[in-house]
Amino acid sequence: MLSAALPTSTAFVREHLRAPLTLAMLIAIPVFFVLVFASVLGEFSEALGGTLASQSATAISAGWATAFLCGALAFFQVSSSRGADRRLAAAGLGPLRVALSRIFAALAIGLTVSAVAFATLWLRSGVEHPLHAFAAIFAFAATYTGIGAVVGAFVKGQLEGSLLVVLVFSVDAFSDPQMTSNGLIAQTPTGEAANLLVAAGGGQGSPGGDWAGAGLIALAALAVALAAFWSSARMRA
Amino acid sequence: MSARARAATAMAFRDQRRRPLVLVLLVIVPAYVITRSIAETLPTPRDVGLPGGAIVHTTMKDVHGAEMGGVTIAFVVALVGVFVMQSALEGDRRLVLAGFRPGETVLARLAVLLAATAVVVGVSALVTALSFDAASWPAFVAAFLLIGLIYGGIGALAGAVLDKLAATYLMLFLVMTDVGIVQSPMFSTTPGRFAVLLPGYAPSRLMYEGAFSTGFHAGGELALSLAWLVAVAAAVGFVLSRAVSSRSVSAPS
Repeated sequence: MLSAALPTSTAFVREHLRAPLTLAMLIAIPVFFVLVFASVLGEFSEALGGTLASQSATAISAGWATAFLCGALAFFQVSSSRGADRRLAAAGLGPLRVALSRIFAALAIGLTVSAVAFATLWLRSGVEHPLHAFAAIFAFAATYTGIGAVVGAFVKGQLEGSLLVVLVFSVDAFSDPQMTSNGLIAQTPTGEAANLLVAAGGGQGSPGGDWAGAGLIALAALAVALAAFWSSARMRA
Repeated sequence: MSARARAATAMAFRDQRRRPLVLVLLVIVPAYVITRSIAETLPTPRDVGLPGGAIVHTTMKDVHGAEMGGVTIAFVVALVGVFVMQSALEGDRRLVLAGFRPGETVLARLAVLLAATAVVVGVSALVTALSFDAASWPAFVAAFLLIGLIYGGIGALAGAVLDKLAATYLMLFLVMTDVGIVQSPMFSTTPGRFAVLLPGYAPSRLMYEGAFSTGFHAGGELALSLAWLVAVAAAVGFVLSRAVSSRSVSAPS
């Protein structure tokens, strides 16, 4: 199963990165968010009634940049490739292997974006818990891969799909406990990952509950993304 | 307008009517982002430099009230521009092969983009008015409209020449850099020296003038905004006419 899926994954990664500007943006946006936003996000958070200190603000900007990039990528993976994936599945690869290939491709790009965001964060402000920070940034990537894929599975139009990803991202970012004093939305998709990232950025460890929560949400998001890729590759009767 | 141009415009709007979620999201996204960001911002002190050289002592809450409409309009309308033009490239070549002039099909897509801009600007102005009182509403709303039209055109250009994922990322990057950071008084009382080179400079200055000044000292900024609009509109017309003409052979994916 994996031996068939891996070469296809490599082809899917090449498919997404064939436009040089896409690759440039996947690198430039995390660097930009971390370097530029981080310098003011602490003050911005204070104005929003949140509690984010400057060091932690630098860290969370890396998570959000990764989240948006991976959400948009997963949405377009499902939305743009539906026809091609069905033909690949019908030609003998099967919907599960097509879906696994898509997930591996999304994870490879997500890992790359996470690594760029993490490296920028580390170089700019240093991170006392680098492994914690990297894991948390990758949790943002995995969570938004699931969100983007689900939107792609249910919404066919690319304008409405990308706007929906923007809306989910906005609700999530504005409801983050570190960025708001308003507890209207108690649970957000990246709430636990944000706790881990903020703690790592501030040189603190994190309780097991946050690790379990972020891990479970990331795994659930990847499972949902797999189901979305499988569903879009499946032939309809 | 010729009968063919009217038919192409009617078809372009019918295409949009088949996708009601687009209209719902064009209302919900700006309404949510603007309302939520203003509501949650605390009134911490902030200075804003205006086009006439005056410095206004205001609050972060009011700065957010003035700014969030501009940022949201720019990003949402730019996305509309990207995808309306992607649709145009997919379908309009066939219309041209069937006898339509490229300009007629481009006109139809621009009409859809204008209508979407009007919706987003209208919603944004309305929800902003619920929590923020601009000193001069005509200048403030004119700035919203100019930001929307300029960024809608830039999105259309990106949609015509780039892959849709690259175009989406580019619009996020450009809007956040330009309207969200370089022109924003949240980051600097007045924009830096090179801010004037970006498309959001002139309409953003006009927006802050309308937000915080009852007088009008932004004639130069208004003229520069209109110049940007004419230049972007001409570029969109030229690029799209070439892209959908029967002589073109390649399309962005």
